[in-house]
Amino acid sequence: MSLSREFKVGLFIVLTAIVILLSLLYLAYEKGFFEKVFTFTLSSKSGDGFTEGMPVVFSGFNIGKVHALELNDKGIVLIRIKIPERHVKWVKKDSTFILYRPLIGASRIIVITNNLYSPQLPEDKIPEVEIVNDINDVITKVPPLIEKITLIADNLETLSKNLANPKGDFNRILNSVTKVTDNLDNILKKVDKIADKTDAQLFSKDGTLPQINNILKDIIGKLEKLNTTVDNINKISQDASEGMKDFRTLRSDIDDTVNAIDDVVNKLDDLISSKKDPEFKAP
Amino acid sequence: MRKLPVIVILFLICACGSQQIPEWKDTSSRQLESYKYYFLTDKEGTSEPHFVKAKKAIARSNDLNLLGTAYLTKYALYVSIIEDFDDTDFLRINKLQPNAKNFSYYNFIKGNFHAADYYLLPAHYGKLLKPAQDKDLATAVKEISSIDDPLSRLVACGVWVKYLPYDDNILQIAINTSADNGWGKPLFAYLIRLQQYYLDHHETVKAESIKERLELLKK
Repeated sequence: MSLSREFKVGLFIVLTAIVILLSLLYLAYEKGFFEKVFTFTLSSKSGDGFTEGMPVVFSGFNIGKVHALELNDKGIVLIRIKIPERHVKWVKKDSTFILYRPLIGASRIIVITNNLYSPQLPEDKIPEVEIVNDINDVITKVPPLIEKITLIADNLETLSKNLANPKGDFNRILNSVTKVTDNLDNILKKVDKIADKTDAQLFSKDGTLPQINNILKDIIGKLEKLNTTVDNINKISQDASEGMKDFRTLRSDIDDTVNAIDDVVNKLDDLISSKKDPEFKAP
Repeated sequence: MRKLPVIVILFLICACGSQQIPEWKDTSSRQLESYKYYFLTDKEGTSEPHFVKAKKAIARSNDLNLLGTAYLTKYALYVSIIEDFDDTDFLRINKLQPNAKNFSYYNFIKGNFHAADYYLLPAHYGKLLKPAQDKDLATAVKEISSIDDPLSRLVACGVWVKYLPYDDNILQIAINTSADNGWGKPLFAYLIRLQQYYLDHHETVKAESIKERLELLKK
């Protein structure tokens, strides 16, 4: 069976169209075209910095974008963001939303979720967006910095004027330093002379050190004589020590004698007197 | 005939000879008497060794009651010069071997008149208990004056002056007793107390006179 040329061309076009359609459908599916999208509403007192299509970021990954901006009856800006179903798990009830406006790069809404086990953010709840504004921060810091730079420039100018002025403080200090150096030179010369004199007084033939030497020799001679005296004292103390031994013997002899006399007296007392048995009683 | 007087004398000596007194008793008694004498005559450095010797002699008898009496004698001497005493040793003895008579005496010289027993105290102190409890100074002066033993009289004066309100009469009894017996330590103690008494009663002339007397006596 032979097919006509027209049929073959028609079949090719139809098949091509089907393939293209299927590719597009697949691409759309992969891009999440058919995915369910959740819409959350955020609020802010100012719409400044918000734009439609602005990315919503979690941990550095895009998880959605700003769909629309509206102004409600109370003058609050409502930001509607769309989050696909596969990313909605990152948006929780206690999540924080921050509008981050970097100095360089596009603004974005950052989602911070500390507790991933908390319930999902209800679509009717409207959390407020906090704003981190690098640009404004930089702008507020710049004027004081400029003031300080101006002040430094003024000081530098005054300093350079002072340096250039022959009657200025700097030149006067330099002059004073020169004078001080001259004075120091004079003082050093005087010290040198005094050192020479001291040297002569200390070390000359009749100087102090030879005299001290003589005195020391004299003391040594006297100490040698004292050595003999100390030896004598030692001998005396040894004799005294030996004498004490004799004293102890003598003391024991006296004790014996006294005890003997005491005994004799007691015996005589017993014999002669009518000694009564002593009575012990407190006075 | 010549031998007769010798025989008579020997017979008399033997007849007069009494029974043998234990050595510890004799020594402790003599040492305690020496202690009293040297203490009252203001020779405290000399007196203390006598007390130690007396104590050691009594200790040899193993008689704690007697040892307690020795300590009470020492405390009484301190009271007689109106000074405080450390009663630790007596209380230890009394705890180990209580003796009612000694404890009654201790209470008397400590000023615990209600705790002292009339019948256990020496009679002359017993008579002082009631006036002491009634603080009857006139009766006390009478009773103290009637005590024969001078040291007991002095102790009675010391107890009264130390713990009860007194007057110059009682101080004068103590001064006279000390002076009669030549006891310097209590004499000066009571003269000083008398001077203070006159000063407290604004009798400056009398106080000045006592002061001068003291200066002269101590010179």
